[in-house]
Amino acid sequence: MTEAVLQAPVVKTAPDRERLAAFGFVAPSLLIIGLVFVLPLALLLGVSVLDPKGGVTAAHYIRLLGTPYYLGVIWNSLRLGLLTTLIAFLISYPAAFALARARGPLRSILLATLFLPLAASVVVKAFAWTILLRSDGLINTVLIALGIIEDPIRMIFTQTALIIGAVNIFLPFMVLPIYAVVAQLDSRYAEAAATLGASPLVVFFRVILPLTLPGIIAGVALVFSLSVSAYVVPTLLIGEKYPTLATIIAKAYLLAREPGFGAAAGVVLLGIAVIVVALSAMLSREPT
Amino acid sequence: MSEAAPHLVVSGVSKRYGAATVLEHVDLTILRGELVTLLGPSGCGKTTLLRAIAGLAPPDTGTIRLAGRDLTHEPPHRRNVGVVFQSYALFPHLTVAGNVAFGLKVRGTPKAEIDRAVERALALVKLGHLGGRRISALSGGQQQRVALARAIAVEPDVLLFDEALSALDRKLREEMQVELRRLLQEVKATAIFVTHDQDEALTMSDRVAVMNKGRIEQLAEPRELYARPATLFALNFVGLSTRIAGQVVSSQNGMVDVVTPVGRLSARGAFQPGASVIVATRPEQLRLGAEHGANAASGRVRSVVFQGSRTLVDVDAGAGASLLAELSGREAEVPRVHDEVRFAWPAAETFAFAAEAAA
Repeated sequence: MTEAVLQAPVVKTAPDRERLAAFGFVAPSLLIIGLVFVLPLALLLGVSVLDPKGGVTAAHYIRLLGTPYYLGVIWNSLRLGLLTTLIAFLISYPAAFALARARGPLRSILLATLFLPLAASVVVKAFAWTILLRSDGLINTVLIALGIIEDPIRMIFTQTALIIGAVNIFLPFMVLPIYAVVAQLDSRYAEAAATLGASPLVVFFRVILPLTLPGIIAGVALVFSLSVSAYVVPTLLIGEKYPTLATIIAKAYLLAREPGFGAAAGVVLLGIAVIVVALSAMLSREPT
Repeated sequence: MSEAAPHLVVSGVSKRYGAATVLEHVDLTILRGELVTLLGPSGCGKTTLLRAIAGLAPPDTGTIRLAGRDLTHEPPHRRNVGVVFQSYALFPHLTVAGNVAFGLKVRGTPKAEIDRAVERALALVKLGHLGGRRISALSGGQQQRVALARAIAVEPDVLLFDEALSALDRKLREEMQVELRRLLQEVKATAIFVTHDQDEALTMSDRVAVMNKGRIEQLAEPRELYARPATLFALNFVGLSTRIAGQVVSSQNGMVDVVTPVGRLSARGAFQPGASVIVATRPEQLRLGAEHGANAASGRVRSVVFQGSRTLVDVDAGAGASLLAELSGREAEVPRVHDEVRFAWPAAETFAFAAEAAA
């Protein structure tokens, strides 16, 4: 009895103290996140609406969203992001299942081929594609040598080259999250569905697909936000004739010296990515 | 339809995985409304047999007929079987009601009918109030009930339980055994349970098939299985027993006389004189003291284990032989450790099995 009475206040304050201690542990990382992520974004937003002559202005946004050329640029970015994401998904989904089914050394080899390219810089990989796709590049040389074609096919600096390169470079970011989910998927779910009368197609659409949705959503969010904002890939594989938000941001800062406009383009790009990621997050939480 | 009509007929089913034979020419006939358990140690083939019936592991040879249809080459979704898995395999992306409705939905049953069937199935397992819950919000016992409701909702021709109760804690499992049996009898379901738990098998089934090394060693009612084990394996796997090795010296009218280290014993069995046998009896057959015309042996008490309603007495009968006796709680006289005791038991409850079967 006495013990319980004596202990009561201690028990009561313990969570508060724990919470305080937890906050103390979290504080440094909060500070770093604030300095490294929140502050630059706030600055970016500030620069995009500040008039150098004083006051606030929406001029950069009006220029960006009111000029057909820049709307085309935004569409180029979206197109790159959407196409890359779609094609990467179509390749990755079956690939993730193959990876999950693979056993022993085969699985290790497949995983290594997926992971190793992540160690190489995007610049290196994009350059590698220019070498392969050039008019005097490996693919054309081989095709001509085999007598399949007479004149080199124009591949480099086409949208095809851009999409091939982007899909290749961002593929691991789609495969890995899907693989992580598929590898955890209990085969009993499909068996239970089958014994309940579901044909293989119905099992796929009613059980497998919904259960792997979290992986798909994570992969889509990653690949879309990476490819919509890609800079190196479009610059090296298609160049001037396919301007994207990322390339005009660079131009605004490096060539035109228009930081306000560049910042506005950056905010729009960020906005697009945030919308897609937020939509994905909502989708994954929606109960079915 | 006649109650005694064969409902599920498994004939000559064999299955190999690589070099290992998992099922060896298994025959099994189950009547409509019967509750049958496949009992055996892990690796005996019981789960493979269940999966063969469900269509999840098609047999290499043999046929499976259910409710008059040959299912041998039908895929699982055209078999109309219900399976309750050990892990339940409830769909985590669906609610409780969504899980129970799944089988009816994929069959294209009208919505109103599905709703009624789901309500009925959930009421049957006493979860009528939890239809809207997510699976992750349920306890293990509740999940077990949902899995059962999901399998029952489609009114399958046979319900298959793959170690379905083993994930529950002991008390809940024992309650569920009784409740599940009552429930299945109520809906007149035909069911096969797979388990390695002999108590579960004896509690829940009309008949038990003891499996060993891909074969059914004995298919019998629980009482008969316990009282008249057909093989040494069945004797060992179900219940406790005293086992003493010996040699047959004479044989007549289905009884043999066996010379053992504890003396001459009579047992049921047909063996040639000279055969090596194991003589066995159940512990509750042993009585303190001597009795005329019965088997008897004496020795020194090695241990006394009190288990509430009964007391188990282990006696060292010398020469490596031991006697296991069960004394009911009402017996006044319980020996102590190191006491010299003499036990007698009826020859009619003593069995002889071929000794080589022990290998």
